Amino acid sequence: MAISPLKNSALEAIKRAQNLAELEASYKAYLGKKGELTLILRSLANLSETERKAQGKEANDLRDLLEKRFAERKKEVQREEIVIQEKLAIREHVDVTAPGKRLPKGHLHPLTLVQKKAEEIFQSMGFAIAQGPEIETEWYNFDALNIPANHPARDMWDTFWLKPKNAGYLLRTHTSPVQIRYMEKHNPPLRIIAPGRIFRYEATDASHEFNFYQLEGLMVGKEVSVANFKAIIQEFYRQFFDKPVSIRLRPSYFPFTEPSFEVDMRWGKGSPRGEAGKWLEMMGAGIVHPNVFRAVGYIPAEWRGFAFGMGLDRLAMMKYQIPDIRLLYSGDLRFLQQF
Amino acid sequence: MLFSYNWLQEYIKGKLPAPAKLAELLNMHAFEVEALRQAQGKKDWILDIAVLPNRAHDCLSHTGMAREIAAICKLKLQLPKTKQIKVQKGGLAPLKVRVQSTELVPRYTALLIEGVTIGKSPTWIAERLEAVGVNSINNVVDLTNFIMLETGQPLHAFDYEQIEGPFDSAQGKLMNVREAKEGEKLETLDNQIFSLPRGALVIEDAPSTGSGQAKRLIDLAGIKGGKVSAISSGTKHILLQAANFNAATIYRTKSQLKYTTQAADIYAHQIDPNLTMEALERAYALCAELGIGGKIVQVVDLYPKSASWRTKRIALDMQFASSILGIPLSQKEAKRILESLDCQVALTKNRLQVTCPTRRLDLTMQEDLVEEIGRIVGYETIPAAFPIAPITPPSKNIELLWLSKIRNALKGLGFTEVYNHSFIGDKDFSPFAYSATDKEKLVEVENPLSSEFSHLRDSLLENLLKNVRDNQKKTETIRIFEVGNTFRRHKGKFVESNMLSALIYNGSFYEVKGVCDFILNGLGISSAWYDEYQATSEESRATIWHKGKSAEIKVDGEKIGFLGEISSRVNTALKLSKPVGALHLNLQKLILLASEEISYQVPSRFPASTRDIAILVPFQTKVAEVMNAMNGAGGPLVRDIDLFDMYEGEHLAQGKKNLAFHIIYESSDRTLTSKEVDTLHNQIIKAVEENPEWEVRK
Repeated sequence: MAISPLKNSALEAIKRAQNLAELEASYKAYLGKKGELTLILRSLANLSETERKAQGKEANDLRDLLEKRFAERKKEVQREEIVIQEKLAIREHVDVTAPGKRLPKGHLHPLTLVQKKAEEIFQSMGFAIAQGPEIETEWYNFDALNIPANHPARDMWDTFWLKPKNAGYLLRTHTSPVQIRYMEKHNPPLRIIAPGRIFRYEATDASHEFNFYQLEGLMVGKEVSVANFKAIIQEFYRQFFDKPVSIRLRPSYFPFTEPSFEVDMRWGKGSPRGEAGKWLEMMGAGIVHPNVFRAVGYIPAEWRGFAFGMGLDRLAMMKYQIPDIRLLYSGDLRFLQQF
Repeated sequence: MLFSYNWLQEYIKGKLPAPAKLAELLNMHAFEVEALRQAQGKKDWILDIAVLPNRAHDCLSHTGMAREIAAICKLKLQLPKTKQIKVQKGGLAPLKVRVQSTELVPRYTALLIEGVTIGKSPTWIAERLEAVGVNSINNVVDLTNFIMLETGQPLHAFDYEQIEGPFDSAQGKLMNVREAKEGEKLETLDNQIFSLPRGALVIEDAPSTGSGQAKRLIDLAGIKGGKVSAISSGTKHILLQAANFNAATIYRTKSQLKYTTQAADIYAHQIDPNLTMEALERAYALCAELGIGGKIVQVVDLYPKSASWRTKRIALDMQFASSILGIPLSQKEAKRILESLDCQVALTKNRLQVTCPTRRLDLTMQEDLVEEIGRIVGYETIPAAFPIAPITPPSKNIELLWLSKIRNALKGLGFTEVYNHSFIGDKDFSPFAYSATDKEKLVEVENPLSSEFSHLRDSLLENLLKNVRDNQKKTETIRIFEVGNTFRRHKGKFVESNMLSALIYNGSFYEVKGVCDFILNGLGISSAWYDEYQATSEESRATIWHKGKSAEIKVDGEKIGFLGEISSRVNTALKLSKPVGALHLNLQKLILLASEEISYQVPSRFPASTRDIAILVPFQTKVAEVMNAMNGAGGPLVRDIDLFDMYEGEHLAQGKKNLAFHIIYESSDRTLTSKEVDTLHNQIIKAVEENPEWEVRK
């Protein structure tokens, strides 16, 4: 077959091709496995040497030319296609201001979030997490904590008792019994926190609930001081609120610590509205009373510790500006789905 | 307790800081001042001070508070004048006092004063009392109140003539201090009639061993005077009592009677028996000033164990003190502070020998003295310093880690976490179908806040269902869950379980089962089994569940929970219009089974073939049975059988359901030919058709 008409028809086909598929088809027709030019190139082997030289050069030149033209045309067609697609895309546009598809969204309770954050901060300072039961005995809730029966100190904890009362079971009024249970099973030195639900026989209002959450902390070592307690707790609040804070200790009384303090906190820069410079009551704390060590079989002269108990509800209320503690236990989804 | 600023000033040499400053200083060094306000007439300030329970011994009094202030402000204390008791000869028959035991009455002191004049108090006394909320009544009653508020020692005045005795008046009278018997009646000064609990302390004026006279209770000792022996305008002679009663007894009685007075509050905290005579000497000094007059004709003082109430000595190691507080302390400074609190201090090498005043019953050990030094120096002077401790990482609480995973899984599935109260109440028994046996298993609260919260919850479901009831109007579908403890009685013990419950309002059995599978998968538990409803489920009250659409969840034979739809009976009772799918799991059991181990399975490099099969079976046939039959017949080249449709109803014969499965065939070492797959598939069809009730639809 003559090369030159083939050349003309091939170049024409390349020019005519309007899209990649057409171009690909033409390519196949000339340069594919069974393409016209391919067949010619393959048939060269059967020719005499002179013929082969003459036709061979012509055919190979044509192949190179066609390869080049196909590549060029391919680029052109691709460019044209992009233009076309862009035109189409404009017609198919979305309203970017319309809301996205609504996917089911879950929510964790603010107390869960606050407890988790507190746990993470204390764990980073070497505190392990301990837990204990919500039904407690009088011994763990009171006696072991140096709060004897028929002592007015018991009035500090309004208690729910369980029937029958003479059995001495109650709903724990603080997380402090976990200290006792933990120390009974572990040797010092130790650092623990114990978050959990506690109960007080108390009428409810915006700042009181009859079940709520406390986070207990205990560090026991050879040399543990009030100064150490101050550093740990100040660091906790700084990390928790992610703001500089200062704390102060005021004298207080708890049967299981001596000395005992109330801990107040004040925000530095960036305090929430209306609370600049105000001291906020945060928790009770103190140096573990020797009688508590005696109750768990430690030798008081050998060990010293600090303990504290903070309300998690109060932390959640401060962090999320929740005005009423009862919302936390209301089961109201309009509240819960904001977290 | 309310304190008057002017009254406190009387016991301080030099000027008190301004009221607001004083309140601030007390806050930081002693007690919280809960309120500060100007007194009526604006001549005085009133401080409402929350005296801490361990300082009720000495600080529920103006002199006690003044001593604190003097120590904090480095001022000098000036105590009020007292007058030595002088007994004069009089015409009254003597009074004999008996006490049941020294333990109950560590000290009983009283003055018998003959010829008193009952009248109005001078204005200054009335003003002092009224400033702190005590009404002025007459000079004798005012005297007792004034002394109590000044010294912290409660006084009581009896009308001597109203005390009856077994003897005729020439021989005298007798008072007996004893424990009450259950149910004895006593009328107090404020016209209340009490039926007494056993063990309450009372004073009786005609002893039971007497000569036939009816015995009478004339005083609820330590709490309130009896009406029969009250001071009246006609009183001529008084018995002025300053006693010391057993603190635990007074505390128990006032708690049992749910009745208290300032005297009872003071006694309940235990006071120093050495105070009684001091208080009476002070009272004696005031008698003339208040126009009471009279002469002391007898002094009663029963104090057999005075030796056990002497001063205590504590050796304070300075090194110990400064290591607790974390600041250096000088011996000199420590000595100054303790002396300002009325301790006597001797210095030895590195130690202070401290003799504490008897009224400071709270000072018993070194730590107590460290607190005194710490708070007077001021805790604000202690710098924050991190402890020196090994950097051992804390042991991980595995349970909490898993729990956190579960919570996050549920959050990811669109569930909202709820916290409910741990209580249920009488009103819940009917809608939630509690049987008599169910109720017996509940833990009951002895002193519930209200009947709404009378029992501890035995499951989380009831309160969650109430959440659904309360929220259903606001939204179509509700997905909520709660993690919490539930309680029940079992063989005389209380059993507490940590549970997880999740609810889908407008949800089905299969939806909650999907949630359950998702959670179990996340915990690496693959061997869960669902069993049909059993009437005797230990973990759940059966009546709450839909009988045909509920299942028990088991892993390795152990029951770990329950799931299904809530019975229509409960739905109706709560007025829920849509079905509720529910799931509850015992977290303790679940977490024990959880595992983090995953071993990677190499996916086959060869393509898989899928064939579908549809089978018509009786409606009670279980999907699991059909799948077991197919798995058995298909052998190892069946990689997965997946139910993609289950249909009952129209177009099907009554009592039949149609199951449609994808069966995926795959080999790990070659491409299966379609002939091989057909052979396997036919084997499966044959196996299914061996059951005459199962029909493969072709």
